[in-house]
Amino acid sequence: MGTPIAPGGRAGGPVLPPVLATSPLGRRRRPSGEPPPLPRHIEHSTRWYLLLLALTAVIWAGLSIRPVLALVTRGDLAVLHAVATLRSTPLTKVMLDVDAVRSAWTVRVAFYGTIAVLVAFRRFQHLAVYLVVFLLTALLDSAVAVEIGRMRPAGIQILGHWNGYAQPSQPVATLAVVLAGLLYTLVPAGRWRNRGKLAAAAILGAVCAARLYLAVDHPTDLLTAVIVGWSLPVVAYRLAVPGEVSPVSYSRERKAHLEVGGRRGPAIVDALDRQLGLDVIAVEPFGLAASAGSTPLRLRVRTKTGDGSGDDGDGDGGCGAALFGKLYALSHLRSDRWNKLARTVVYGRLEDEKPFSTVRRLVEYEDHMLRLMRDAGLPTPQPHGFVEITPEREYVVVMEFFDGSAEILKAGVDDRVIDDALKTVRTMWDAGVAHRDIKPSNILVRDGRVLLIDVAFATVRPTPWRQAVDLANMMLTLALASTPEHVYERALRVFAAEDVAEAFAATRSITIPTQLRSLVRADHRGLIGRFRQLAPSRPPIPIQLWDLRRIELTSVWTVLLALAVAVVVAYVRVAGLL
Amino acid sequence: MNGARGIEAALPGSRRQHDDQATRPAAPPEPRRGAAPARRWSRLVAAVAATAALVAAIFLTGCSAIPRNTVPGCGEAQRLAIIAQSVPSASYVPCIAPAGLPPGWRATAFDPASGGTNFLLQSDRNPGRPVRVSLTAGCAFARATPEPARAPGVRTYLWYDSISPRFTGTLYDVFPGGCVTYSFDFVQGPDHIALMEQWEAAVGLYPRQQLRLDLRNKLGVELDP
Repeated sequence: MGTPIAPGGRAGGPVLPPVLATSPLGRRRRPSGEPPPLPRHIEHSTRWYLLLLALTAVIWAGLSIRPVLALVTRGDLAVLHAVATLRSTPLTKVMLDVDAVRSAWTVRVAFYGTIAVLVAFRRFQHLAVYLVVFLLTALLDSAVAVEIGRMRPAGIQILGHWNGYAQPSQPVATLAVVLAGLLYTLVPAGRWRNRGKLAAAAILGAVCAARLYLAVDHPTDLLTAVIVGWSLPVVAYRLAVPGEVSPVSYSRERKAHLEVGGRRGPAIVDALDRQLGLDVIAVEPFGLAASAGSTPLRLRVRTKTGDGSGDDGDGDGGCGAALFGKLYALSHLRSDRWNKLARTVVYGRLEDEKPFSTVRRLVEYEDHMLRLMRDAGLPTPQPHGFVEITPEREYVVVMEFFDGSAEILKAGVDDRVIDDALKTVRTMWDAGVAHRDIKPSNILVRDGRVLLIDVAFATVRPTPWRQAVDLANMMLTLALASTPEHVYERALRVFAAEDVAEAFAATRSITIPTQLRSLVRADHRGLIGRFRQLAPSRPPIPIQLWDLRRIELTSVWTVLLALAVAVVVAYVRVAGLL
Repeated sequence: MNGARGIEAALPGSRRQHDDQATRPAAPPEPRRGAAPARRWSRLVAAVAATAALVAAIFLTGCSAIPRNTVPGCGEAQRLAIIAQSVPSASYVPCIAPAGLPPGWRATAFDPASGGTNFLLQSDRNPGRPVRVSLTAGCAFARATPEPARAPGVRTYLWYDSISPRFTGTLYDVFPGGCVTYSFDFVQGPDHIALMEQWEAAVGLYPRQQLRLDLRNKLGVELDP
C-alpha cells in the first residue's frame, strides 16, 4: 500500500479524490424506485409465518360462525375417531407420559432457566422481547379461548387431563412459545439452532400426537396453538432482535458489531462506488475491540493515477490507499439512546445527552464534526462524507485512515508529542469544541505528530468544565508515559496555571473515559492527586446536577420498572408459573 | 477477524473491474415502478397482516357477537358443554340463569377442567368474600339439612358453619352423577338474606339431557361417547 494519491492534508495523510470526480456527467444518482444498496430484507420464512398467522386469524373468525364451527368440528371429530381406533392400554400409558412433557413444571424450568441465562449473559434486549412475547402470546391465547369458548372433543372418551376451553390448545401454545424463546434467545444461529428446531419440532409433534390420541384437543386446536406459539415469537424475535444486529453469541467479542460479509459487504462496496465514487477493493473489520458504538472498517481503495487508468503502477491492478469507515446501524442508535438515558439517570446533566432520533442524524452529526474540526485546524481525519446502505437503517461514515500511526502509549511520548498534544487541546478550546472522549486509544502519533480520532462525541460550545476535562484527560494520558511534573511544566507553556487547576477541579471518576480511568488506577502514582498538588488550589467544580429532566426520568423509570416487575409477577402467578 | 468477515471486492463481471467512467457499462435500466414481484408480495403480506390485525382487534375489543361473560349462561350450549365435559356423569350443569346476574354481582375465575368446574360469584356488597361454586362428581353432605329442591330430580341441602357474626355455610345441589356446592360467607346484617336470595336465583341448573339435544341440533355432535 502506501501510494499517496495527492499531497496535502493537515495531518499529512493522503487525499483521495473520488474516482468519478472527473466525469462530465457526475456520479449516477439512484433514481426513484431503484432499490438502495442493501434493501431491507425479510426472510421468506418470515413471510410464510405471517401468512400462517393470518390463516389462524381466519380460522378463529370462522369458528365464531356456527355453520363453520359445526363443519370444522365434524372434520376434527372424524380425525379423532380415526386416531381412537389405535387405542390400547400400553399405548395410552405411553401417550399420557408423552403428554406430561408439556407440564407446568417443564414450562417453569424452561421459562425461568431462559430468563436466568439471559440475565447472566446480560442479554437484556433479548430478555425484554422474550418477556413481552411470552406475555402477549399467553394473553392472546387466553382472550381467544374465552371469546371462542370451544368445548373439548365431543362424543369420544377423553383420556387425558385438560383445563379450560379447547381452542387454541394453551398448553401446546405455551410449550411452543417457550421452545421458540429458548432457541431464538439462547442458541446461536446456524447449525445448533437448526438442530434445536428439529428437536423442538419433534417435541411439539410428539405432544400433539399424544393429545390427539388422548382426544384432549381437536386437531384445529393444536394447529392454531402451534402456529401462534411458534410463528408469533419467531417473527417477533426476527423483527425486534434480528440476528445480524443482535446475534446470540457466547464469545467475548463485542456484540455491537455487524457482519460485513454476506449481502452487506457488496452493498457497502456498491454504495461507496455509486455515492462517493470510491473504488473499494476490500472491506474488512478493523479495531473492533476498541469500538462499541459502531462497526469500524478499513476500506482498501484503488487509487487513481494521472493517466486515468486506475492502476497505481504497482502491477497489482490498483491496490491503493486505505480509508476508515464506521458502519452505523439501528442497533448503534439504540445503544446510543440507552447509554445517554442511563448517563442522565445515573450521572445527571453532564452535558447535552439528547439522543439522536435516527441513524441518519447520527452519521450526519459525525460527518459534520469531522468537517468542523478539520476547518478548525485540528489533526482529525479528513472527512470523505457518508453513504447510505439501507435508508434510515444503515450508513457508513468515511474518513481518512491514519496509516502508519500508533496509539500514543505505544508510540512513545517525548516533548514534541507532549507539546503537540497540549496544543491540540488549546486549539479545541480556541475553536469552542470539546472532544469529550480523550483517552489513549483515541490519540494516535505518527512521525512525532499527534492525531485525534473518534470525534463522534465531540460537541461545539460545550459547558466550560467539559472543555477543562479534555485538558485533564489529555494531561493524564501524557503523564502515563511521562511524569505529572513534566507534563505540568510543559502545559504551563500553553495554558495558565488556573486552567490546569480548573481542569483537575472538574475531574471526577465519571469524567474520565473508562480506558483511561483503568490505566490511571493501575498506575499507582496518584496522578490526579499529584496534578492537583502542582496546580493552584481550587475547590471542586460541581458537575452532577439534579435538574427536572433527571428527576422526571429517574421517577418514570423507577415506576416503569416496578410496574414491569408487578405485571410479570402477577402474570406468572395467574399462569401458574410460580 | 474477531468473527466478522471482511470481503474482497473482486466482484467478477461487475463494474468493479473497470476503473473510470469511460469504461463503465451503462447504468442499469430503470426498474418498472411498482411492478416488481417482490413489491407485490410485500403488499400482499401487508394486506394479509392488516386483515389479521383487524380480525384480532375485533376479537380483542369485543366487537364480535360472542358474549363476554366468562361463566356460561344456561342457553349457551357450546360453552355449557365444557362444564358438562368436566364431570361426564353429572346429569345437571350449573350456569348463569337466563335472567342473568343481579346488579352488583359478577361471575369470575371460571375454571373448567377434567374432574370438575369452579367459579366465583362476587357481590360489591360483600367484597373479598365471593360465593364459591363447584361442580364435582360427588360431595359429602351428610351433616347438612334438606331444603326445598332447586330443580326437578335435584336434592338440595344446607349446612351452616356460622350464623353470627358471619353468616357462612354451604349449599349442596345433589343429583345423579354429580353435585354442585356453593360456599358462602356474608356478614350477618340487613343484606345477607337478600344476597343469599340473589345468588341462589342467579345460578341455574341445566339438564344434561337438554344440553345433548341442543348440541345435536346446533352443531350436529353428540356430547357423550
